[in-house]
Amino acid sequence: MSNDLIIGIAGAGGDGVVSAGESLITAAALEGYHGIMTKSFGSQIRGGEASCRLRLATQPVLNPNGPLDVAVALNWEDFRRFGGELPVESRTIVIYESNTGVSPDRLPLEGVKPSVVFSVPITQMAEKFAGTAKAKNIVVAGLLAGWFGIGRESMLTGIRKKFAKKGAEVVNGNVCAFQAGLDFAEAHPLKEDRKLGAPEAGRQAKLLTDGNDMCAAAAIFAGCNFFGGYPITPSTEIMQFLDREIWKYGGTVFQAEDEIAGLGAVVGASFAGKKAMTATSGPGMSLKTEMLGLASIAELPLVCVNVQRGGPSTGLPTKAEQSDLFQAAFSAHGDCLRPVLAPVSVADTFPITVEAFNIAEHYQTPVILLSDQEISQRKETVDPIDTSKFQIVERRRPAGAELANYARFKLTDSGISPISHPGMEGGNYLAAGIEHDEKGRPTASGEMHAKMNDKRFNKFNPLKNRRDLFVTIGDQDAPIGLVSWGSVAGVAMEALRLAKDQGMHVKLLIPKLLFPVAEPVFEDFFASVKCGLFVEQSHQAQLYRLVRMYVDVPRQVKPLAKSGSNPIQPGDVLECLRKLVVTMQCNPNHQPEAMVG
Amino acid sequence: MNSVETLPVERFQAGDFKSDLKPIWCPGCGDFGVVTALTRALAAIGRPPHEIAFVSGIGCSSRIPGYTTAYGFNTVHGRSLPIAQGIKLANPELLVLVASGDGDGFSIGGGHVPHVIRRNIDITYIVMDNQIYGLTKGQLSPTSPRGRKTATSNFGSLEDPVNPLLYVLGYGASFVAQGSPLDMAGLAKLIEEGIRFPGFAFINVQSPCVTYGEEDQQLKGQRTRLQNLGAMGHDPSDRAKAIELAREYGTKLYTGVLYRNPTPGPTYGDGVAQRHQTLQKQAVPRHDILKRFIPSPTA
Repeated sequence: MSNDLIIGIAGAGGDGVVSAGESLITAAALEGYHGIMTKSFGSQIRGGEASCRLRLATQPVLNPNGPLDVAVALNWEDFRRFGGELPVESRTIVIYESNTGVSPDRLPLEGVKPSVVFSVPITQMAEKFAGTAKAKNIVVAGLLAGWFGIGRESMLTGIRKKFAKKGAEVVNGNVCAFQAGLDFAEAHPLKEDRKLGAPEAGRQAKLLTDGNDMCAAAAIFAGCNFFGGYPITPSTEIMQFLDREIWKYGGTVFQAEDEIAGLGAVVGASFAGKKAMTATSGPGMSLKTEMLGLASIAELPLVCVNVQRGGPSTGLPTKAEQSDLFQAAFSAHGDCLRPVLAPVSVADTFPITVEAFNIAEHYQTPVILLSDQEISQRKETVDPIDTSKFQIVERRRPAGAELANYARFKLTDSGISPISHPGMEGGNYLAAGIEHDEKGRPTASGEMHAKMNDKRFNKFNPLKNRRDLFVTIGDQDAPIGLVSWGSVAGVAMEALRLAKDQGMHVKLLIPKLLFPVAEPVFEDFFASVKCGLFVEQSHQAQLYRLVRMYVDVPRQVKPLAKSGSNPIQPGDVLECLRKLVVTMQCNPNHQPEAMVG
Repeated sequence: MNSVETLPVERFQAGDFKSDLKPIWCPGCGDFGVVTALTRALAAIGRPPHEIAFVSGIGCSSRIPGYTTAYGFNTVHGRSLPIAQGIKLANPELLVLVASGDGDGFSIGGGHVPHVIRRNIDITYIVMDNQIYGLTKGQLSPTSPRGRKTATSNFGSLEDPVNPLLYVLGYGASFVAQGSPLDMAGLAKLIEEGIRFPGFAFINVQSPCVTYGEEDQQLKGQRTRLQNLGAMGHDPSDRAKAIELAREYGTKLYTGVLYRNPTPGPTYGDGVAQRHQTLQKQAVPRHDILKRFIPSPTA
């Protein structure tokens, strides 16, 4: 029996590799399993190589990473193109297309000799039973369902639904192709049973979606009524989801002529009183910088999602990286503070997106939501979310006496002043990118500028005590500390589990509020820490350096950072921790070198 | 809206739209005349100031929203149009005005112009065209004539200017006019017509810079050159003729409506309203949106 299975499938575009993965994770979600599926493609728009990784488990899946338990190669050239994304070990069960002509004992995998290998005439089976090689993915699903015990019923229902329009003959052919896969698996049983055990929390069906759709849905839930943006990988699906949904609520999706205009329209919509959002990725963020500054000084609420990819410039458009944190925190001229939030998973994208809107509306500020390519495009099973538990915050609007001699930027104790919008009688004011007095009148007074800067900074002070935006796992007094954020946090969580199994006394801090840096939370966490790691996916270890600007991080806490598209494995974290601990024990004063990949 | 009570006759005076903020403009600046003409037009329109959103970018002319009592938004350089479009789409009930200068509108912000035109968003765009960068003290502008010597073209400009009239006509604008503060009544009327026009309206105003402008561009110099299109008998429904007249930008100074589409197409807002009506029945409660993610078997 297995409780955690990692399956990698690769082939040529058009082989149905991704639909095989999708049908399996759908089946898993319906049967109550936990799962994450990631897809990877060559850079071609159509054709080229395609792969997917599925991690299915009986308990929550923290990340999609790890060497494969099962590798499926529809051809070896394409499989090999994915290199480290589909790591095969000697214990990996390898299933491959026989017509590749490769002998099972001479697999084209360097330095590794898997012991369990099946050469399967996949195309031949598809052609024989379904009458078309297009049914290869159905055969693959049958093989996997047979060997690993997932999705038999769901696949059959899915086949009937998908091919219903094409008539009984096509349905029957595909059912037979699936059955052929099952039969092959039954005829060639594994020596050791690797079927997935029953889900720990029972068979209640889960939701299934990716981070971009989840973000868009959360925006609808939070009351977003306006989206302005420009298509950019890997964030475009947010705009696409909202375009399918937001009109139904009287909202608007505006595809602008460029990234600047996209955020410009959002600034306008917010000025007009609507909850508004944009979504983009690195290059778009660079272009939006000036408009973000405008929203900060005009104190206009909005949410700006940055689905991070590798940079700088065009960088790695289809790969995740956590290298836009400095940009999110600091890319502005002038003194400026913008809250930055980051979810750690698809499921977490829901509460964090709602929180982004709440903070934006409450503090009258742009909020940067830092997702990343992995979270945004991976499919993940999500436990049902009770939306009645969430509070929705609306901006504070002036009323009654506040509208008599109304001062839009009134200097209040909280720094938050009631905000009117066009259409509201008595609320007329001049919003501006230029410094202004309480009534919005332009000013060049240094005294007024200082007061307004105080207002615009001090209003965020309560955020630094938002401990609910941090997760701490492990003993409070542990001497070893891990810090991680975004999609990589899941890797750190798994590493924590492994480290504890090995008897290390370790704890983990996951900030979802990255900026302003909540000094009290970090200081409390580091109080017991002698050594540790910031685990993150950027060359510069941006969170590590950002936190050190504000907090005295213990000297023996070091970064474990890798550039994007180089998955950090839980084992990597463990190894670094072990070295760190040994060094510390040998010579507590020694300063180990930074572990930067 | 036919009852006499609701007719906005004389509901407002021009003064109701003037704020008490003192303009930063140089004495004699053409932009003073634009404020006067605009506030007169707004009084004639009769919408209360709080139902008006007045957006601008950066430059001398872009200070204008603050000199009115409308909701103003003095934004960043070249970006007034996208912001104004967001406002109009977020609340179609608002009267949305945009003010800009030749640099703001046709240099740094020129890329937005074709798009607001092709969308036909119902806003009125007033460009105060003085052929110079005034706020930064006299540099070359996109409408400065070739050969013009300025602080950044000491030996004369090597570029042909943008022709704002031809530019917007070329992209298919349905209402294109040019005015001058020299003809205050005419300018007020043009702005009013632009606001009333159902769709995107463009008004280029020859608003001279008294400090850095050329002699012949001053109001005094305009007096001998100004030709009123109405008086010339121009038919504003004739787009080909309008284009012909627009070509003379820079040599001739025409004021009045160059082109008014006699059969204007639908506005962007019309499409949005229609879509809202069609789709609203399909909305699930916002708190049920996650039901979209309940999986169904697939192969």
